[in-house]
Amino acid sequence: MTAIVRTEGLVKRYATTLAVAGVDLSVEAGEIFGIVGPNGAGKSTTLKILATLLQPTSGLAEIGGWSVTRNPDQVRRVLGFMPDVFGVYDDMKVWEYLDFFGRCYGLSAATRRRTIGDLLELVDLADKRDDYVQTLSRGMEQRLCLAHALVHDPQVLLLDEPASGLDPRARVELRELLRELRNLGKTILISSHILPELEELCTSVAIVDRGQVLAQGKVSDIERRLRFGAVLRVRVLAEGEALEAARARLAADSDVATAEILDDGTIELGFRGDDAASARLLSEVVRDGLPVVTFARAASDLEELFLQVTAPDRAPLDAA
Amino acid sequence: MDPMDDPTRVPAAAPVLPDGPAPGAADVAAPAPADVPAPTPASGPTEHARTRPHPVAALRHTFGGIAAISVKELRGRMRGRRAFVILTLYLFLLAGFAWMVELGMEAAYSNNFGQSAALASSSIGQGIFAALIMLETLQVVFLAPASTAGAISLEREKQTLGLLVTTPISSPAIVLGKLLSALTYVFLLIAASIPLTAIVFVFGGVGPEDVVRAYVVLLVTALGLGAFGLCCSSLVKRTQAATAISIFGVLAITVGSVFVLIFWNALANDDNGQGRGPIKGQPPAIIAYVNPFLAQIDVMCGTESFSGTWCGILSSLIPSGASTTSSDNSGGGSNPPIAVPVPAQPVPGNGVIVNGGGQVFVGNGVAVGGVNVGGGIAAPIAADVTAFGVVRDAFWPRSMLTWLILTVVFLLVSIQFVSPTRRWHLRRQRRPTPGPEAL
Repeated sequence: MTAIVRTEGLVKRYATTLAVAGVDLSVEAGEIFGIVGPNGAGKSTTLKILATLLQPTSGLAEIGGWSVTRNPDQVRRVLGFMPDVFGVYDDMKVWEYLDFFGRCYGLSAATRRRTIGDLLELVDLADKRDDYVQTLSRGMEQRLCLAHALVHDPQVLLLDEPASGLDPRARVELRELLRELRNLGKTILISSHILPELEELCTSVAIVDRGQVLAQGKVSDIERRLRFGAVLRVRVLAEGEALEAARARLAADSDVATAEILDDGTIELGFRGDDAASARLLSEVVRDGLPVVTFARAASDLEELFLQVTAPDRAPLDAA
Repeated sequence: MDPMDDPTRVPAAAPVLPDGPAPGAADVAAPAPADVPAPTPASGPTEHARTRPHPVAALRHTFGGIAAISVKELRGRMRGRRAFVILTLYLFLLAGFAWMVELGMEAAYSNNFGQSAALASSSIGQGIFAALIMLETLQVVFLAPASTAGAISLEREKQTLGLLVTTPISSPAIVLGKLLSALTYVFLLIAASIPLTAIVFVFGGVGPEDVVRAYVVLLVTALGLGAFGLCCSSLVKRTQAATAISIFGVLAITVGSVFVLIFWNALANDDNGQGRGPIKGQPPAIIAYVNPFLAQIDVMCGTESFSGTWCGILSSLIPSGASTTSSDNSGGGSNPPIAVPVPAQPVPGNGVIVNGGGQVFVGNGVAVGGVNVGGGIAAPIAADVTAFGVVRDAFWPRSMLTWLILTVVFLLVSIQFVSPTRRWHLRRQRRPTPGPEAL
């Protein structure tokens, strides 16, 4: 497999902040690659550099073998970009909007006509063809923006927070659309801070925080590499010292890495063991007389993984 | 030369190391061969040399981009009835104004003396011509920058610029497309007024070549000030600020330049060539050249059979080197200025024309004295004795040349600032390339 998108030591420094502090990414053709991180982690900056919208301070960024700094025009031809925030032109119909971008890519009139029809079908806006762009709903605008990024049939799609601001239904539709695009052979880079979205969708993820890649690879690989198990949430019928005693009891177990009392009184465990181990732990603590109300795995592995690797007490990375 | 930059280098079987600037040698030297893309001809070269498209292809690409932007902008601007309703109203207003001027001048002439009908008619023609052209200049001077001041900043505000610059459309194409499409409506208004202006031919006193001159000035002014508005739009983030700056700029080159000229001339004139005053010599010609109204006044001056109101205004304001009238002083040049208390209105029919600038001409245009009152210039100018009294086309072509140069400058600045990654190539190229130790 070849890396179709590649960055090495990518750095973007603003006057006072280091937005991207040496990002190394390698995305293979045909992947759906998730870039996950909290707000301000440098996801958008990285994507903007890849989209030739920002000049990196240093480092290398390539798409399809073309350097984004030296050959931005070639990069733009193999790339479709959908920014996190974007506007639409007033006074423009849906088909005119796509027609405009088709002209920008130098497509012939016949190609534009055919492509616009196909794309509107693909993003399910065919019946909105003659509507004005500003009358579309947010989800439709999002799909239209995605369609605009596909006008020139790019190899690589960069989608910056495509699901933000969408209602659940629109998110499901978007996810379906991205799967369809993957089936068409597109390589998709998608950034998000909404993790469950990506977990189902992505073949690989990179977890980014404070401008650095903390982990990268297949979701399962990352979990294994970090030797990270599950997060268990335990609620016990206790308060104050009794609660603290319950936490200490749980923390004493050999499979429990961390045990913290959350604000709502739930005890959160970083748990290394498998399901059998968690069953054993539950039976032991019940036998010891802990009044356990609930004992459950936390919802999303990736989300917990994310929380762990992007813990807020990590040392600042600005080594400038 | 860095071997990596050699465009003739044949890709070797060995992995190609990146030659871009790298933060640390270890990071860059590390990639395993499997990580290196093996690009196909469709996907790109292994060398990271800048590729330059064929000039013809680049030109075609640029024109395609201009067309794309123009079509998109014009679809928005010309949709519906609005544009055409405004055009119609504008023509009605212009026609009403022309009629008003005509009636006023007719009344003035019929109440005055026993002037010949032919002379009166030509004077009315010249009056209507001047009034219409000045009004159109006023309209162009404000409308052109106002219609371009939002061109780039609106894209930024609406966050559509990012979408636009990630397409292969070039910055010059964006800038030129925006300029031309924004000015299309201004050009349409100008073009629609031509038949109306042609009414002056009914009265006489103005030749077709005068009308052509006036419209050349209008078009170049629209282009120059349009480019100025676009430049403001590309430099400033907010449209409101860009509009304010461009309107301020328009006031500076119109009202401001006249004020500076009067002020400068007055001070220099007080000095009387003695070298004592705070300001010596003549004001820089550029101050006069940037004022499109002065260029139109020069065109008006060309219609006057002998130095009249417009020529007087011009010669009183602008340096002699840039003036319509020649510097061939017939008598008055070396004389100290004599203040002549005369009315500043042309009084037709009595054989003597006294203009606002204080120059006095008698009968056939022979100057009796290059006299300056107050606002005159340092070196008094007298009329040249030619068939029609004046030398034509000395001032406005230079003014328009100035505007064309300014247009190019404004557009180049706009091009630099429209794309976030293409700013100041020169400085980037001066950055030292990493030496072998970085590899």
